[in-house]
Amino acid sequence: MKAVTVRTRSPAAGGPSLPARHGRYRGETYYDRPALKAAHWDWTVSSYIFLTGLAGAAQAIAAIGQALDRDRYRGVLRNARFLSSIGSAVGAGLLIADLKTPKRFYNMLRILRPTSPMSFGSYIFGAFGGLSWLSALGELRSGRGRLARLVRRSADVAQVGAGLTGAGASTYTAALMASTSTPFWAAAPRWLGLQFATSAVASAAATLSLAERWGGRTDNSRRLDRLAALATAAHLVASLGARRQRHDKGLDEVSESPQGRRLELGDLVIGGAVPLAAYALHRLTRERAPALSVVGSLAVIAGGFLLRHGTMNAGHASARKPRAYFRFAQPENLPRDRSVIRLGPPR
Amino acid sequence: MDQQLTPYTTEAERTAGVRIEPGKRYGFFTDTTVCIGCKACEVACKEWNQLPAEDMSLTGMSYDNTGALSATTWRHVAFIEQVRPAQDHERDDGVPDRWLMMSDVCKHCANAPCLDACPTGAIFRTEFDTVVVQQDICNGCGYCVPACPFGVVAIDDCDGKAHKCTLCYDRLKGGLEPACAKVCPTDSIRFGELSELDAVARERVEELKAQGVEEAYLYGTPDAPGATGGLGRLNAFFLLVDRPEVYNLPSAPTRPSQRIGAALGAGLVAFAGLAAAAVTLLAGTRNGGGR
Repeated sequence: MKAVTVRTRSPAAGGPSLPARHGRYRGETYYDRPALKAAHWDWTVSSYIFLTGLAGAAQAIAAIGQALDRDRYRGVLRNARFLSSIGSAVGAGLLIADLKTPKRFYNMLRILRPTSPMSFGSYIFGAFGGLSWLSALGELRSGRGRLARLVRRSADVAQVGAGLTGAGASTYTAALMASTSTPFWAAAPRWLGLQFATSAVASAAATLSLAERWGGRTDNSRRLDRLAALATAAHLVASLGARRQRHDKGLDEVSESPQGRRLELGDLVIGGAVPLAAYALHRLTRERAPALSVVGSLAVIAGGFLLRHGTMNAGHASARKPRAYFRFAQPENLPRDRSVIRLGPPR
Repeated sequence: MDQQLTPYTTEAERTAGVRIEPGKRYGFFTDTTVCIGCKACEVACKEWNQLPAEDMSLTGMSYDNTGALSATTWRHVAFIEQVRPAQDHERDDGVPDRWLMMSDVCKHCANAPCLDACPTGAIFRTEFDTVVVQQDICNGCGYCVPACPFGVVAIDDCDGKAHKCTLCYDRLKGGLEPACAKVCPTDSIRFGELSELDAVARERVEELKAQGVEEAYLYGTPDAPGATGGLGRLNAFFLLVDRPEVYNLPSAPTRPSQRIGAALGAGLVAFAGLAAAAVTLLAGTRNGGGR
């Protein structure tokens, strides 16, 4: 059949309008019944998002460490490689478990669709997992033989790739959530991207810091703590920005719901205020109490999971609240220029 | 297409005055002002598509005991009972003074968000410009469900696949108009080629306005409410006489995939920024140079 091109003209100010007599939206609904359907995703999906964020950023940090001072960051490299290879295997398992027809998981790689983060994300995640396993082989193979050297060298090359795909693996999940009609995810796409990226780096730095402290490399742990603290501070800014934008788009009803409150407690307090206070105190007390660093790192990691899980659940709640969706789906919230991002196959 | 393939008059030509040919764009025009709420469309859809009955209980909110579109309900008649503030006190008896009925259905969007989202290619655009889920490919990832701005697509837990209206793809292939449109006794549901339906719909709005129904408007035609935010148009569109929200429809839905760039771009920029910071923080001589 011949392709049909559907053009969307630039909207008049505020987009198309109803006949004047209908006035502004005043909270009408259809017997308060949901206007949207929520995704069926449960803890398996939020755990996957958390895990790929952690593993992806860990490989990026390890790649930086490898480039800067390979000997110094040997431990970081080793831990990141094992963490991400095991993490990507677990993540794949979680994704398959989440499918309603799991035996058809391979259909995920049947096509590549740039308009679907779940589609291109599967490839990013697949590449990340493969490169992570390749990098982990470098840790298993010791010795001086030619094969051992080849494996180690290719592991180092794979490390760079794992770091780059790790950046994609830990951020594409924000696009996956933002490009739905679920209002809580859709209302603040940029901030959601910032939240997921900063949280991924923070939790990866915190995890690697814990491992370095465990291995007695306190100086590395100190450096990673600084990175975790910086990322957490950036994360706090992103979370407040997301909150504000959701307010501007009429989603207060969701933010003030139990799910919204739980997200704020987990994200802003456990993943934000607590670790920043712990890291600051650790520094102010001249690092006399290593427990403070450990507490800070654990809080960052917990906050990273609570951000993903809380965001997911608040999204589900928002899909079930017709007023929240209808307030969000008003002409004044339409993107100003719809021609900016034109994705999709040529039609 | 080869006209010689069907030299005889197809059924759709007799029932709807439409010749169904691959390559042309088809859809529904649902004129809610003539809907009488008989639900024949719901029944015809269930029968033709062999969809099982669902919860048989009463909702208690109106004559709408179907509730919503679902994996096994592809037409849903909404009943809106409106009790307006009384103009004169004699009418202030709580009796509805207006009933709005609308047979809701998948909109078969021109830029369909479910199709954009589908990672397996199970959801595809047919030769009739409709959107269909291929049951032998869907793996039940469920991404099309939150993607839909109208809450149409749903996963059936019995078979673990996504389901929605196919605009009777099998009937169209056989030269038959969709079951719901064929059975509709008032022609509230009209099936046809989009260009013709658009003209019919515009004419109907003018007719209603001439009769004094100033509030009538189209929902889902190009540049109208419902066809906003990059959706292009809705191949199944509606004539409404109250705000879209009253019918459980959003005023200004959007095409979700337009948000990918913003989320992914911002995420990668932040990631790169923190990586640059990591280079600074992790660099330095042994023991951190006293930092």
